[in-house]
Amino acid sequence: MTDRTVTLAHLFPELLNLYADQGNISVLRHRMQARGWTLTVTPVKLGSRVDFGSVDMVLLGGGSDREQQLVGRELAIYREDFATAIEAGLPVLAVCGGYQLLGEYYELQSGERIPGLGLLAVATRAGKGRLIGNIAIEWVSQSGESDGKTIVGFENHAGRTFHDYAPLGRVLKGHGNNGRDHHEGLQYKGVVGTYIHGPLLPKNPHLADHLLAQALAFKGCHEPLDALDDELEWRAHRSVLGMLGVKSGEIRA
Amino acid sequence: MITILLRLVGRRGTSMPGLVASRVSPDLLFRLLSQLEQCVVVTGTNGKTTTSALLYSMLTDDEHPWLTNRGGANLLQGLLGALLPHVDGHGRLRVKRAVLEVDEATLPLITNRYHPTLIVVTNVVRDQLDRYGEVDGALAMLRSGLLYPGTILLTNADDPLAASLGWERELTYYYGMDECPVDEEPRNEVRDGAFCLICGRELQYERYIYGQLGYYYCFSGHFGRPAPHFGGKTDGSSELIVRERATDPRQEEFMVNAGAPGLYNDYNVLAAAATARLLGRSPRQIQAGAEHYEAPPGRMQTFPGSPERILALIKNPTGANSVLRTLESDERDKAVCFAINDADADGRDVSWLWDIDLERFVSAARCQRYVCAGTRALDMAVRLAYAGVDRQRIQIAEELPEALAMTSDLDVPVYVLSTYTALYPLGEQLRGAAR
Repeated sequence: MTDRTVTLAHLFPELLNLYADQGNISVLRHRMQARGWTLTVTPVKLGSRVDFGSVDMVLLGGGSDREQQLVGRELAIYREDFATAIEAGLPVLAVCGGYQLLGEYYELQSGERIPGLGLLAVATRAGKGRLIGNIAIEWVSQSGESDGKTIVGFENHAGRTFHDYAPLGRVLKGHGNNGRDHHEGLQYKGVVGTYIHGPLLPKNPHLADHLLAQALAFKGCHEPLDALDDELEWRAHRSVLGMLGVKSGEIRA
Repeated sequence: MITILLRLVGRRGTSMPGLVASRVSPDLLFRLLSQLEQCVVVTGTNGKTTTSALLYSMLTDDEHPWLTNRGGANLLQGLLGALLPHVDGHGRLRVKRAVLEVDEATLPLITNRYHPTLIVVTNVVRDQLDRYGEVDGALAMLRSGLLYPGTILLTNADDPLAASLGWERELTYYYGMDECPVDEEPRNEVRDGAFCLICGRELQYERYIYGQLGYYYCFSGHFGRPAPHFGGKTDGSSELIVRERATDPRQEEFMVNAGAPGLYNDYNVLAAAATARLLGRSPRQIQAGAEHYEAPPGRMQTFPGSPERILALIKNPTGANSVLRTLESDERDKAVCFAINDADADGRDVSWLWDIDLERFVSAARCQRYVCAGTRALDMAVRLAYAGVDRQRIQIAEELPEALAMTSDLDVPVYVLSTYTALYPLGEQLRGAAR
């Protein structure tokens, strides 16, 4: 029997916990457990070191503006090891503030730039007014293909984010990265960045399983994940599509 | 003009007549407020409605009547709606004293033009994020609403965010718990105040009370829990001992029992009693007022019957955890119905459901059945499933009225926990059923 533990590093939970990241963690943990795996969560407080070699997956959540500025100050120590791990395919889920933090900077209305981790060529600028509301996107793979799967949730961000990577998907209803180019989120190797919370994973079990499969593959384990009873999850997913007036006919449930 | 408005008022003090009147004359609210001799404003995230109701019952009597915006209509129109029924034919207020519950975002709009006698800030915790940006935004709004130095501030010493409002401010009084039952282990709860507002370092806690409330300090010595002028002592019953250290070096003690269960209500009682003392009411008057207190609609409001039903508002994780903790202390078997809407007044983002410590509740609370209702019933159902509730035991009501029918076969108490916009229709239905 091999080691059936997946280790999730939850970065800066004392600061980046605004949008119920416990919900995302709970979903990952339960869905691993149901497949006979254990998810171990290692909280990494700002300033303490991470051994990226012993981590199978990273979660970066969202924080308030004040908390993001606190994080920005002390990020330099993580940059090199984290960037190497991403190039090697480490799965990373970065939500809201965590998504912005992957990039180079967050530019305030005043022009002041709060530095990010600088891991990816992503820039965020504060816009006038927040982009708020329920959102649905069509999930598009990194090679640009879609099989009609949707991702739903809620967005609430003042930042407008710009980058040239593959988006997580195409906006069906809502604002997405910047409210202009109809793109939402980012995918690069094992990284998924997104403004969608609600939290993200409970109503998107396919995305949760995608991340878990990536984490297992990164560990060198290629066993398929058994299907689970996700009837409630998909009903909740479809109810958001319904509220937004998005037709759900194409979704494989 | 006023008489036309008064005809619109009818008997209920809601936002509607205020809305009409404020369209007619936006200055009317301030013209009326300026006639008040004493005005207490109650604001903060949780406990505004209960604290206002407690305070009103402690302050008002035949000799010195007070008015209040009972029922939580706490925006500008709601305040005007509360004042209008007390205006005479010459446009003058007949009642000269008011307890006004005011929404955090509305506070600066009021205090820009009017200075209340005293402002109570109950606490500052994570609320409807999509409405106010983030908790920092709420704090900034409160701070800008407290700039006038002649207004007395009474705030919560145990909440680092609320207490920070009084930092280096004169005319500020604090209340806090001297002694109360606390958990051995800190719970898995959201703590928003957990950072020093001066240096940004994580606050240390000697003692957790609930949520971010507790005895906290910054390692660098910048900031810590201020010594409360009004200390509370409770053993978990609804009797609260108030220890007063505000006006006299000798400590004075008195007991208040408002029959309101839960530690969060002890804070509300303490805030109300402290305010009443600062306004010169005697301990005897305060206790007499507390005895006449009735829980406002949907604040642990009991509807007798078979089954007995108890209606409680939940609107954010800290408040919901407090309510759930009170349910846990009810050792009977029970059923719980969650009515979760996502209209503007509820908060459109339901992320907060995942910040509630339901895992603990589910394992501890002897709950036989869970019913989910409201526009976000399915979000709640998924939340419960991941908290460990067997999916077969979760029922989903398509429409709100069905939710109560789905528990009518039970002979155990049914707790109905509801967000704001479902509260009123559920209350009406429950009143009808209990009649």
